[in-house]
Amino acid sequence: MAPSEIAPSAAPPVARLIEAFHRLPGIGPKSAQRLTYHLIRMPQEEAEEFSAAILGIKEKVVLCNTCANIAESEECAICGDLQRDGTRICVVEEPLDVVAVERARVYSGKYHVLHGVISPVNGIGPNDLKLRELLERLRDGSVTEVIVATNPNLEGEATAMYIQQLIGPLGVKVTRLARGLPSGSDIEYADDSTLAHALESRAEIPQRQSDSPE
Amino acid sequence: MTSKRRPVTYTTDGVVVRTSNLGEADRIITLITPVHGIVRGVAKAARKPGSKVGGHLDLLKHVSVSVRETRTLHGLSQASTLNGFRGLRDDLDRFSRASYISEMSERFSVENGANQPLFRLLLDTLESLEVTTNPEMIIHFFEMRLLQLSGFSPELSRCVETGVDLEPANHLYSADRGGLVNSDARPVGESALLPASLNTIKLLRFLSRTDIAQAGVMKAGEDENRQLSRILRAQIHHVLDRGLRSEAFMDEVRTRPSHNDEPKASSGSSSGN
Repeated sequence: MAPSEIAPSAAPPVARLIEAFHRLPGIGPKSAQRLTYHLIRMPQEEAEEFSAAILGIKEKVVLCNTCANIAESEECAICGDLQRDGTRICVVEEPLDVVAVERARVYSGKYHVLHGVISPVNGIGPNDLKLRELLERLRDGSVTEVIVATNPNLEGEATAMYIQQLIGPLGVKVTRLARGLPSGSDIEYADDSTLAHALESRAEIPQRQSDSPE
Repeated sequence: MTSKRRPVTYTTDGVVVRTSNLGEADRIITLITPVHGIVRGVAKAARKPGSKVGGHLDLLKHVSVSVRETRTLHGLSQASTLNGFRGLRDDLDRFSRASYISEMSERFSVENGANQPLFRLLLDTLESLEVTTNPEMIIHFFEMRLLQLSGFSPELSRCVETGVDLEPANHLYSADRGGLVNSDARPVGESALLPASLNTIKLLRFLSRTDIAQAGVMKAGEDENRQLSRILRAQIHHVLDRGLRSEAFMDEVRTRPSHNDEPKASSGSSSGN
């Protein structure tokens, strides 16, 4: 949409910025206008900081040569951390998924970012993902487990199946994140796939010492 | 003719054929429905783990959903799964074929265009794909029936060039003209004539008048299957004026000689479209 169509009465620089915001995911024309007029009211130095931050991510951010995560140099902080377990790789769809797994603070291995997921109806196939780079990482035999942490939807499952078929024959253990009922949800509203997976992956409730009849 | 105003909110069943993310946690869902044709709507917060609808509104699920009409994207809520087609979700080959038929169904559907027969065909084909040992012929059946339902039934009895009844022999197929061409009557300027052996022609005629159960038990040789694929796909491409994005992945999964083949070095799209 041309700037003049989104904000026909706005001055050209304002209309241009509204149009630029409108191109961002999840930003509609109203939000784009709100953000633009907020920036107009912003002090000069704050606006300069903001614009420098935008330019900075284009100039300084690259993909890690090893895991394809977003990094400041050819090797990201996680790949360069010798304290982390190099025998396990957690495969995720997007860089934001690395942030989400890290937030849980239970995983100390390395990552590999696919930058997408197999989506036949959108024309995205295995060659569009960072799968070749993943295979390269498995060549030296130091990795013993690949944890596939793609989203638990059909395209995520298909990508996980593809990865399993691709690297399973190399003798590397391929695991998948457990699927089941989310904390705080109602069984009544769970779909059949979630319930089926939850039942298949059910676990025995561990008996505590104090629970024994003795 | 007076047009009836549809209710603002209605409940329909439908098959989810496309999803995409919207904003922080919403999802745009495209459904094929029997009465309303293609329905596109937003499922609010569907990507959050606690969502009541997110698990139901996943690709290739037959669902019941409440639709609240708006001028742009409709609002979707109160979804429940009628058939999750689990057999398609645990097998890469079946998944790739189901993606192909769902994309085709979407391309042949329109918004607000009721199409009960197409919807029934989609459901029957997904159900068959879950269990069949002959997925190739199920796909051919779907392609043929979709062409018939859309008014593009291939001419298989007479030569589309001369109008003369065809003798039982090997002939050619013209997607541009929508049928078989006598091997002696090559039309002038025709660029893409496809070979159609006598057995392939018999199979095309069989597919044009059988049902999905019978199609599922009909076996064809490798050559016949290849010819059927080329002919039916060429006809579909001609009708749609384009190829289908999911074809490339379906062909890759089907033709992979072993499981440990690496993806190609190229980073370009696999779709070829």
